[in-house]
Amino acid sequence: MIWRFTLRRLAVGLVQLSVLIVAVFFLIRLLPADPVARFVGMNASPEAYALAEQSLGLDLPVTRQFEAFLFGEGNDGGGLFRGELGTSWVTGSSVNQEIRQYLPVTLELITLSFLIAVGLGVPIGVLGAVNPGGAADKGTLVYGLFAGSQPEFSWGIIFIFVFFVVLGIAPGPLGRLSPLTDPPDFVTGAITIDALLAGRVDIFLEALWYLSLPILTLSFVLSGPIIKMVRENVAQTMNADFMFYGQAAGLPRGVLARDALRAAFAPALTLIGILFGFMIGGAVLIESIFSISGLGQYAIRSILAFDYPAIQGVVLTISALTLLIYLAIDVCQALLDPRVSV
Amino acid sequence: MADNKNTVLSARGLSVQYAAENPTLTDINLDIAAGEIVGLTGSSGSGKSTLAYALLGLTRRGAQVTGGKIDFDGHDLLALSDEELERVRGRDIALIVQNPRSALHPMYQVGRQISRVYQAHKDSGRTEAQQRAIEMLRLVGINDPERRSDAFVHELSGGMAQRVLIALALSTNPKLLIADEPTSGLDVTVQAQFLDTMWETSRETGTAMVLVTQEPGILANYCDRVIELDAGHVAKDVSASAFISASTKRSTQSPSAVERERQNHEPLLRVEGLRKTFPLRGTKKVVQAVDDVSLSLFAGESVGLVGESGSGKSTVGRCLLKLLEADAGKITFDGQDLAAIGGHTLRKLRQRIQIVQQDPYDSFDPRWSIEKSLLDPLVIHKIASPAEARGVIEESLSRVSVEFSVLSRRPRDLSAGVLQRIAIARALLMKPDFLVLDEPTSMLAPQDRHVILDVLKRLRTELGLSYLLISHDLTSVASACDRVVVMYLGQVVEVGPTVDIFEKPIHPYTKALIGAHLEENPETRRVERLDRVDLEGEIPSPIDLPVGCYLATRCAHATDACHKERQSLSPFSSHHDVRCMRVGQFELDEAS
Ligand SMILES: Nc1ncnc2c1ncn2[C@@H]1O[C@H](COP(=O)(O)OP(=O)(O)OP(=O)(O)O)[C@@H](O)[C@H]1O
Ligand code: SF4
Ligand SMILES: [Mg+2]
Repeated sequence: MIWRFTLRRLAVGLVQLSVLIVAVFFLIRLLPADPVARFVGMNASPEAYALAEQSLGLDLPVTRQFEAFLFGEGNDGGGLFRGELGTSWVTGSSVNQEIRQYLPVTLELITLSFLIAVGLGVPIGVLGAVNPGGAADKGTLVYGLFAGSQPEFSWGIIFIFVFFVVLGIAPGPLGRLSPLTDPPDFVTGAITIDALLAGRVDIFLEALWYLSLPILTLSFVLSGPIIKMVRENVAQTMNADFMFYGQAAGLPRGVLARDALRAAFAPALTLIGILFGFMIGGAVLIESIFSISGLGQYAIRSILAFDYPAIQGVVLTISALTLLIYLAIDVCQALLDPRVSV
Repeated sequence: MADNKNTVLSARGLSVQYAAENPTLTDINLDIAAGEIVGLTGSSGSGKSTLAYALLGLTRRGAQVTGGKIDFDGHDLLALSDEELERVRGRDIALIVQNPRSALHPMYQVGRQISRVYQAHKDSGRTEAQQRAIEMLRLVGINDPERRSDAFVHELSGGMAQRVLIALALSTNPKLLIADEPTSGLDVTVQAQFLDTMWETSRETGTAMVLVTQEPGILANYCDRVIELDAGHVAKDVSASAFISASTKRSTQSPSAVERERQNHEPLLRVEGLRKTFPLRGTKKVVQAVDDVSLSLFAGESVGLVGESGSGKSTVGRCLLKLLEADAGKITFDGQDLAAIGGHTLRKLRQRIQIVQQDPYDSFDPRWSIEKSLLDPLVIHKIASPAEARGVIEESLSRVSVEFSVLSRRPRDLSAGVLQRIAIARALLMKPDFLVLDEPTSMLAPQDRHVILDVLKRLRTELGLSYLLISHDLTSVASACDRVVVMYLGQVVEVGPTVDIFEKPIHPYTKALIGAHLEENPETRRVERLDRVDLEGEIPSPIDLPVGCYLATRCAHATDACHKERQSLSPFSSHHDVRCMRVGQFELDEAS
């Protein structure tokens, strides 16, 4: 049952992805931009220009370009159908490899921030609902006034100013490790995990320290909506008739608390998942501020350089990721809540 | 008052208050004896539910017990700690609430919800508790309890969920069961079966019961004693028979002068073979709201249309006013075919047929004063000049016994009962010949119901007004109608004079419906009647109707032929028609 549901959703997702990738492919080629000029420079000779155009494959008709994108050129073993996103026009290396390198960086950043935001936000939200007007509630109110007042970009800069410039207790926005430290061998691409795999606890701690401000910024902004949602959902459930009835039936308080959380959890899960999706977008700005070379930075660089294969690769990656997250939420929801028909 | 040594629970000086408001309950004293069924009644807002919950030492959010004590089993419940209360609630005192579907947790199987309460109180293992749940579900009349115990609440009908709740409440053999309006929202036949089960269980196990209800019929049929609340005080605490005889006893309508009328004249309204289906969104199927309805109504006559919810009563009413276009059938009003007319003629005709809806608050614009709401139709239809209008409105209001001072008020300032009478007055402004009343009393308190029915009867005598009273409340129909039309799943199954239908029902469905009727008379209690006819199972869906007789799946007299042959409405005696091929043969079943 749940498998058929999952497969059906995956199939729909694949269709959506295909439409998206076709749209992106043709849209960027409709733009009045000239990637060749960007590639060879404004003052290049017509010959050099033609040569470059040929080497990028832009001399071909658009439909032929699309064919090459899907099936590769000649017998080079590439093409989307073989899982190859092509070669970056800027660096000349494979887009697959570049994404493989940058994606884990971003995922590491947002997953850590997300875990902290959820780990703090859920208990605070529950406390606020259980004890309305209490300390947790008042604190949330004050914090809400602050956190909502600025976008995450400003908060990043404010935190750097306060904790690095003024107080000097946090590292500067210089990336994921001190420039003097040798990064651990590339295994997963997430530096904390790689450090642990290499048995280097010192690098692990250093990486966490360097990530502290970016994580603080992201989770600071993210906690607000999480607390609010959890509080509302739990408060609503606690007022539900079935909680009153459970009390009348003499159910122990531990059982009642579990009942309330279970009922509140399912709707909160959806909203939290959507937030995670949003964060992939929000990470772009944070990466620029803290000079972390993740997927967001890569995307900006590719767009500025009219690096079509890289742009297509990034769009495809982010959409596929979002799709998988939403799918995972829906499956969890269906497993948790019998009212969701699968 | 109950004998002291048999007293299960006694409350003294109990007071409950919602934050910063006047006390909701003040100084309540009551005793409940073992095995006794006590009815708790009173108008809406009088504090019935608050008292019911307080007897468990429980208050809703924002409320607080401000004084008094509740002696139960040698302890004062109000002095117990939370942990001790947890042990009493659900084990010794159980609660059934009004809305069973929201009282059950949406994400646990219903069997599990019963067994975990049992486990919490009886120190039993999980398997034993599960068996207990299934046993209880069977006891309350749920078919196939093994399978149903795995269902979630959204998969159950309201009636079934209500039974799950009673199974849950009774699984621990409590000494006291408190039921807060347990049958509101259920159909009459389901209601009667449900109350029978509760009554029988209480008699068998000696469980005492507090039954909160506004229905005099339930008080008369199931309760030993009645406590009436008025604004948070005990107004009455008397035996059920004393309570009922104090309130007016109602009698069934006797045949009126209409009889003569019928012999000589054409009926005012004639409906033949009416049919109406609604397409089901996203499928090729249809909902058969009205399948085959024929009826006639003579000038000055009042006809009751009864049947359970979903039987298509309202749809018939709306077709009569051409608010809905029928799929098939012919409606003739005063010699005019409704399908053939339109434009000006239709508008004229619409003035002669007026409708009164179920919820009076829906039929008035909340922003307007009553005066404006009554004046507008007069002006729009040019019935009276502005100078005359006031007189016309006042005449109308006095016909429904409403004081003129309401004219300056807004709908929300008035009670549902008064507003419903104003709705009737507004219909009368058009000088109609015929009134369709769609469940006009179902939103009202019992006292207000009687007033509306008295008004209707007076209008019939004074103005010769004819009306069709659509209602699932048999008491209303019995007292205010000359004839009764009984509907089941979109078909008329029986038509006859009111006395015949109530005293000599012929069709098996009518028999069950009348049997489920709770007369406001403690002398003829349903639980003491031996010849009860009950239907089996649940009403079929109006989407997949049976091929033959629609009742065949539930009828005790059904034969193979019943399952195959469509039934038609045939004369049984003069003025009495029945849709059943086996009429007159039921004795054979009983003999065998
Ligand atoms: N506009 C509509 N669209 C679809 N189905 C409808 C519509 N109106 C009524 N029905 C269906 O037709 C059937 C009969 O409805 P109707 O309201 O006439 O019955 P009723 O006997 O008056 O019920 P109740 O006592 O609950 O008011 C029901 O199954 C209902 O769901
Ligand atoms: S026709 Fe048959 S099934 Fe239908 S009511 Fe009569 S006896 Fe019962
Ligand atoms: Mg209706």
